[in-house]
Amino acid sequence: MNFLEECLTLGDWLSQENRRALYKYFLRSNNGNYKSQANLLVTNGLLNKTIANGQIYYLVKDGLVNYSTRRLDSDEFTPVIREIKLTGIKFYDIIRLKKFFAQSDVDVIRNFPLPGLNPQSDSGFGINVYPYYDLNYYSDGKGKLLGLVNRIKTNDRELLNKLKGR
Amino acid sequence: MPLTIPRPFPLQPRIPSLFVIGLLAAQYLVFGLGNSPEPKCSINIERPHYSSYLYEYKKIDAIKLNITTKCNVPQRYTEITSSIQKIENNRQATAHKFESDRRYSKTKSPHVVIFEELYATCVKGSNVAYSGEAKGYIHLKHGQDYPIQGSSGKFVAVSCKIVAK
Repeated sequence: MNFLEECLTLGDWLSQENRRALYKYFLRSNNGNYKSQANLLVTNGLLNKTIANGQIYYLVKDGLVNYSTRRLDSDEFTPVIREIKLTGIKFYDIIRLKKFFAQSDVDVIRNFPLPGLNPQSDSGFGINVYPYYDLNYYSDGKGKLLGLVNRIKTNDRELLNKLKGR
Repeated sequence: MPLTIPRPFPLQPRIPSLFVIGLLAAQYLVFGLGNSPEPKCSINIERPHYSSYLYEYKKIDAIKLNITTKCNVPQRYTEITSSIQKIENNRQATAHKFESDRRYSKTKSPHVVIFEELYATCVKGSNVAYSGEAKGYIHLKHGQDYPIQGSSGKFVAVSCKIVAK
């Protein structure tokens, strides 16, 4: 089992560094898929997909895109977990939607992992408050400028190489 | 003399039953909903401890922090920023700060939210005194935000030192 496959099974045990690296990895490696998905979502107003052990349901409503999710073996959807505003400028919205997809993929992998060796807690859906595409993530809500400085200092190269299998 | 047996007459309700049901419903609306309990919530932060569980399953040495929030009314989610504090050179310092985290309550237990994923890797060998603290708010089902803040209390020594990444 390579590191990426292992990450899909870790769930609760996926560290915050691993989650951030996964986000960056997905953003790069799924660029083409995310672009197609974003176009479908903007055209149809909704999109369903599965990742790890979860299904994600995206919906466009009143100029906002949101997502809710469910474990594949459950009928119960979560409330809306995250949302972003669309600007109406298509190429810019596609870029933002790609990031939104990568973030939601990581959220769902964290909460609904594939079956693995590690026992999982069953304590409700958990997310990092500031998404990785928001500079506030890097400053823990203390502003985008500080976030930018901290982002430059953050080095996930080692984990990204592990995810790429190098 | 002929014996006359009085005809029994069944008791008829003087108030129509629908009217009674209506009265009960009105009473519930006026006194039941109006007197819903005032929201009260609490946060319980356990003392940071060496996690033998993490060692068993992930083969890592780590200090773990468990946090639970509880309310007397249903909550939608709890959002917290938490950290593990340490005593170093007789001074309190942050040993590890966790990402701000939000956890949604479960349908089966809407009054409670448990954070069980908070851990920081450490190196065994030296004794360090740790305490846990957290601050945030609980978003209740009916929309109100309830601020919470707490600490695990006095510092307790653990034989594992959290290392900065």
